Amino acid sequence: MGELPFKISQPLSLGIELELQIVNTRDYNLTRGASDLLGALAKGGSPGDIKPEITESMIEMSSSPQTSHAGLLAELRAMREAVAAGARKLNLGIAGGGAHPFQKWNDRRIYDTERFNQLASLYGYLAKQFTVFGQHIHVGCADGDEAVYLTHMFSRFVPHFIALSASSPFHQGEDTLFDSSRLSAVHAFPLSGRIPLVRSWAEFEAYFAKMRDYGIVQSMKDFYWDVRPKPEFGTIEVRVCDTPLSIDRAAALAAYAQSLARYLRLERPREVSDDLYLVYNVNRFQSCRYGLDAELIDPFGGVRAKVHEDLVATFSRVAAHAEELGCRSVVQGLLMGAQDYGNDARRLRARFKETQSFADVVRWQCEQWMQVR
Amino acid sequence: MPELFFLPALPLPSNQIIWFGVLLVAGVVGGEIAKRAFFLPRITGYAAAGLALGPDGFALLGRPMLDELRVFADISIGLILFELGHRIDLRWLKRVPRLALTSLAESGLSAILVYFTLTQLFGVGPLHAAVAAAIGLATSPAVVMRITADLGAEGQVTERTLLLTALNCSIAVLALTALIPSLYLEYRGGWRIIVLHPLYLLGGSFVLGLAASALTLQVLQWIGKRVEVQVLALVALILVTVGVALTLKLSVLLALLAYGGLVRNLDRNHSLAAPDFGLIGQMFFLILFVLAGANLDLAAAAKGSAIGAAFVAVRFIGKAAGIMAFIPGSGLKARQGLLLAVALTPMSGLAVIMLQDTQSLFPEFGRALASLVLPAVVLLEIAGPILTQFALKLAGEARPGPAAKS
Repeated sequence: MGELPFKISQPLSLGIELELQIVNTRDYNLTRGASDLLGALAKGGSPGDIKPEITESMIEMSSSPQTSHAGLLAELRAMREAVAAGARKLNLGIAGGGAHPFQKWNDRRIYDTERFNQLASLYGYLAKQFTVFGQHIHVGCADGDEAVYLTHMFSRFVPHFIALSASSPFHQGEDTLFDSSRLSAVHAFPLSGRIPLVRSWAEFEAYFAKMRDYGIVQSMKDFYWDVRPKPEFGTIEVRVCDTPLSIDRAAALAAYAQSLARYLRLERPREVSDDLYLVYNVNRFQSCRYGLDAELIDPFGGVRAKVHEDLVATFSRVAAHAEELGCRSVVQGLLMGAQDYGNDARRLRARFKETQSFADVVRWQCEQWMQVR
Repeated sequence: MPELFFLPALPLPSNQIIWFGVLLVAGVVGGEIAKRAFFLPRITGYAAAGLALGPDGFALLGRPMLDELRVFADISIGLILFELGHRIDLRWLKRVPRLALTSLAESGLSAILVYFTLTQLFGVGPLHAAVAAAIGLATSPAVVMRITADLGAEGQVTERTLLLTALNCSIAVLALTALIPSLYLEYRGGWRIIVLHPLYLLGGSFVLGLAASALTLQVLQWIGKRVEVQVLALVALILVTVGVALTLKLSVLLALLAYGGLVRNLDRNHSLAAPDFGLIGQMFFLILFVLAGANLDLAAAAKGSAIGAAFVAVRFIGKAAGIMAFIPGSGLKARQGLLLAVALTPMSGLAVIMLQDTQSLFPEFGRALASLVLPAVVLLEIAGPILTQFALKLAGEARPGPAAKS
């Protein structure tokens, strides 16, 4: 057994984590509510796993490992019911969205645990500015080598996940012009970015051992990469998504990731190459900035296409796999409907244009997520 | 024409503007001293500054001037009660009926305990005790709002302190109005007055609040979502409403509470962004506390220290018991419930105003009543803010870091 044993999990098993905003229902600013909400939930005996995050204005909801989109969605719905009921009792609002539109970062409070206090003192203002809300998608892998392969190959599709989930157009009371402003906040951390170009689990373990011996990291948790292997779970974890406005969209994104993973591991359409990362940062920036209308450069061949066009092309490749996984219509709706539906960032902007009030936008976000008025 | 006609005549006349400024300065200085030298809440310093200037202190500020300055206190009370009324979220109460029960229990129990303590232990007559108990069940809205704002407090204890304060103030004002017929029976007045006066106060004040809120929502919708303009319009409309209530001899307390509550709960289109009166609000808060301090009657308090202490103690026991009875299923932990009860302790400006209102109708009764209520007011003028601050800090809801220290 090597440095980092890779737990065997069921290939293509599925799980997500959602970071959610806690707001008050008076002016809809972020508020200190995590410990009160968790206290109220613990008494009620809630399904699934609901945890505090680094600030008091955030909670994280994690599904258990699921095999299908349907199972995942059912579990998320039950968790939403519990969280929404707890929040209503405390007169709090729970919302999706990658960033709060008008909170001031200096107002945020650090949730009182040793790890969070340590991070806060290490990263200073970054820790508070990191009050952004993401969705992480886990897909099970057969072994470490497969995880390394999928991690690299997913980077080709990272712009899809960014553009489809983007829901943070506003930040600190301004329109950022970005569809996802959240990812730029992640970029400031020294260990963000991407996995180095290793080609096997053994190589990755050697890299990890070196980084640990330098004293740079202690565990995989310290890497804030866009896509990273997660040996404790036996999964790869896609971390670029903004938390969507609804759990249905969150589950649909997970179904897309699952279908994509099945396509990649069974067909192995390409081998890992340096070229993947030549275009990576430019594509990433483009999709953060322009969302579904961003122009992507295909690392394999250099063809340029808009994200929404690339989504349509990708669907023809993954459709059969989605069919096998029982989520074809969901993935079809997500990828083929992208151009018409737009993404959540577009809907948030439309909402703001209509109401001219960020508080109204957040109230609407709460309605979208809690599904109650 | 005298030769130096352009010079002011002696003795120099004092005027309200000078005093308004002097009180502001004294308040600011007192607040900073309290904060820096004694680690007390600023508002304790405001009241101390008022006390020092007032008749019981160095007597720079006499009774006549205090009466002239009452207009500023009325404006402050108007702003505060509007904001307080706006805290009453009926949808929350409907969703969690337990909250309404908690409010009734804490108000009811504290009033009942105060009533029996006064009648049984101190031999006070039932009518005096009932009015004192009604006044005493209210928490000081100004203190609670100022302390939560100063601390940047957020969380369930804070939210519920503000909600329960809004509710118990409403209950107190209603209870006091309901007692007016008994007062007339005791003192003077035919049946027409007995029936019509409370009806006029209740109905008139509510209708005024309703009219003001309907007008406000129209105006706000027309203004749109620009917060600064909204706040100015709101302050203007509140001033008008306070003035109208005074002119029509209605209850400023009832009218403004109704106004705030109705604006919140009739606002179907969400046209009002949360009201934050900012610096204007802070200035009037400060003046209110300085004036409250200047009006404090220390002699009366010293004479009634036993009554005051008993009043404060049983009032707290009633509030704590009422809250703890409904803690299971409320979403709060027992510890949070206890801290909530502590946070609800303050009693000051609003009690004095209810006292003065009663006194203006029934002077003789009012003097006897003051000797029952004022000792507790004086005691809590000092202890109240400290207790609320202590409770919110212990609940972990005060903003940590430099903001709280400065």
